Amino acid sequence: MNLNELTIKGFKEGLSNKDFSVSEVVKELLDLIEEKNKSLNVYLNVFNKDALTLSEKIDSFLEKGEDLPFLAGVPLAIKDNLLIEDFPMTCASKMLKDYISSYDATVIKKLKDKKAVFLGKVNLDEFAMGASTENSFFGPTRNPHDLSRAPGGSSGGSAAAVAAGLAIAALGSDTGGSIRQPAAFCGVVGFKPTYGAVSRFGLVPLASSLDQIGPITKTVEDAEIVFDAIKGKDKLDSTSIEISEGKPTKNPKDMVVGIPREYFEKGLSKEVERGVSEAIERIKKSGVMVKEISLPHTKYALSCYYIVMPAEASANLARYDGVRYSRSEKDLNSLKDLYLKVREEGFGPEPKRRILLGTFVLSSGYYDAYYAKAQRVRKLISDDFKKVFSSSGPGVDVVLAPTTPTEAFKIGEKKDPLSMYMSDILTIPANLSGLPALALPVKRYHLGSGELPVGFQLIGKRFHDKEIIGFGKYYEQL
Amino acid sequence: MENKFDKEKIKHLSNLARIELKEEEAENLAKDIGQVLDYINELEELDTKDVEPMAGGVIHDNSWREDNDREKPLPKEKSVQLFPEEKDGFLKVPPVFE
Repeated sequence: MNLNELTIKGFKEGLSNKDFSVSEVVKELLDLIEEKNKSLNVYLNVFNKDALTLSEKIDSFLEKGEDLPFLAGVPLAIKDNLLIEDFPMTCASKMLKDYISSYDATVIKKLKDKKAVFLGKVNLDEFAMGASTENSFFGPTRNPHDLSRAPGGSSGGSAAAVAAGLAIAALGSDTGGSIRQPAAFCGVVGFKPTYGAVSRFGLVPLASSLDQIGPITKTVEDAEIVFDAIKGKDKLDSTSIEISEGKPTKNPKDMVVGIPREYFEKGLSKEVERGVSEAIERIKKSGVMVKEISLPHTKYALSCYYIVMPAEASANLARYDGVRYSRSEKDLNSLKDLYLKVREEGFGPEPKRRILLGTFVLSSGYYDAYYAKAQRVRKLISDDFKKVFSSSGPGVDVVLAPTTPTEAFKIGEKKDPLSMYMSDILTIPANLSGLPALALPVKRYHLGSGELPVGFQLIGKRFHDKEIIGFGKYYEQL
Repeated sequence: MENKFDKEKIKHLSNLARIELKEEEAENLAKDIGQVLDYINELEELDTKDVEPMAGGVIHDNSWREDNDREKPLPKEKSVQLFPEEKDGFLKVPPVFE
């Protein structure tokens, strides 16, 4: 069995052909995790016993010929900022290193109902703040394609797990590119749904107007399977909405693809430029209409994001106050001392940077110049997309752009925070606009080939998640 | 916008955010945040006078629910387990008033 290549679809076929049982696959995965985790540092916590027990149970159901949900037995890796009841949830932070989840995130509950098997929790940048997993309190994850390089972030553990065959699929979260950028670096598929399509209840919040949970998988088809399993309105997350089922989506052949020139203007590596151009050529050759378009405010997205995100993060992370969650110091004389000490010791450098930046842009005298300004710029960025999707404008159905400016960078290469922030420059606009975006590799990448993956993203209209998934599947067949 | 970011300013912010900082940390943060602010000041060149701010997420409809019991909260034992310090089933905190 080649775990590197095994998809959800392939796993299900293998099960029904009786090529293997669920527990055989899970055992093999757990062995591989044990072997590879030392070098890759993907898993923070492996659920050996629970994964095996559940797999055996599913096998016995299957033997009896019982009807099971499609995802039954599918082994998944879960980003460690999602709650699974009675298991630790660290957010890769010292602040939460001893925290045990007391309930299930809605996405977890949905996957449990469908009898998916959780292999364990995987690494991320502390509180999902970063683009390389180097900000993890538990050390960086390494890119399976080249151990000296970063897998991207913040869902670097999820992407590396899927790329290295240490899980068939994974869940990640995306605030400014945290699913798509690592998917691109690791040569796998990553999908950030429309804002609100998936409930965030039980996801540790970073920036609540931007956060979205989504799948990281080997194929677009698998991403759709996981997305279908986790989406939907949830009364525990009032921003969640139902995307209407069965709405007819456009045939990919009839779609118009927009190429935004601003995404190609500067800073793209030769390999990314070549890879994405080849992908566009393939699409054109297949008879799909491709148009050059302009999203003129793209260049301001990074600045806008680094005001909105830290502002929201500084508020969200106020809850780690030592009164709850964790308390490193006991018997202090005042509540204020407790706050100061616990937050000094519990947060790593990146959360501190973002909390202070957020505190600054929200502070009296600066609010209008920064936060209110950024909200207006956010509107301009969002309107750019509205215009290109509109039938009175270029009327495109999907925007195609590189996912990242470069291939995976070396661990330790990005020395200052700003240069790290830049690596999300192409993924941020979709978050600011709340649009669905699917990142996929320009071709299949095999481990050990020595090639570094290059990817592109498809950004769709709001709630037209299925349309970009459909187009992604079409591309994979070209 | 004037934003010379020195150590004093960082110390003021860190007090507001309730994070104690070591001297060296404060210096590094002043440098990093100063660099980020220099970058994001590019937004000044955009005229946004007549632009509506985009607040929050992307859906601006309110989300209503019936005014009745919500999903059951955590059982008491489970909440107590989460307390960093506990006394007789209550959450223990340092003195709030001096």
